[in-house]
Amino acid sequence: MVVVDARGSYCPGPLMEMIKTLKQVEVGEIIEVLSSDESSAKDIPEWVKKAGHELVEVKKEDDYWRIVIKKLK
Amino acid sequence: MKLAIVLASGELEKVQAASIIASTAATFGEVLLFATMDGLMAFKKDVVENKAWKAGELGKGMIQANAPLFVDVLKQAKEVGNLKIYACGMIMDMLKMSLDEFVDVFDDVIGVTKFLGMVEDAKVLFI
Repeated sequence: MVVVDARGSYCPGPLMEMIKTLKQVEVGEIIEVLSSDESSAKDIPEWVKKAGHELVEVKKEDDYWRIVIKKLK
Repeated sequence: MKLAIVLASGELEKVQAASIIASTAATFGEVLLFATMDGLMAFKKDVVENKAWKAGELGKGMIQANAPLFVDVLKQAKEVGNLKIYACGMIMDMLKMSLDEFVDVFDDVIGVTKFLGMVEDAKVLFI
């Protein structure tokens, strides 16, 4: 599993950081994105669905969101 | 999806909005950003260095919060997605400017005719 810690970054920062990582990893890899930006926490799942990857989990932690995705292609 | 954005405003809030829409759209498809009028002037090196954009309360807040501003957003988008940024040739000719006077995000200088040809099959946003 790869962790992208994008806490403190504003939209579209967390999404862009996640996509950069997504391009580098193998198909089947799990990526965990940490974001303190609520709009990114909503937008990343939308992006993942539209791009055809798997949204594994979206979970609110204390002051940030944990978004877990799986690269499918 | 092919999206074209005509950025004619230099207000920080609008330039910022254009950069965020462009960068997200560029992760799915082709995006062309055409900077013209005050929208082009927002990219001048001295303006960017001095953060001297026209800005309202929100724009000033963005600068104070040290949020990543549009130049950085667009540079990052170019690494991640398919985004091309063009400067308006008319302004460059009229004011005898060269791309050296602008921050390093532009792919080329083009005229309106060329731009219209490029965006024939695109959705166009005017900001």
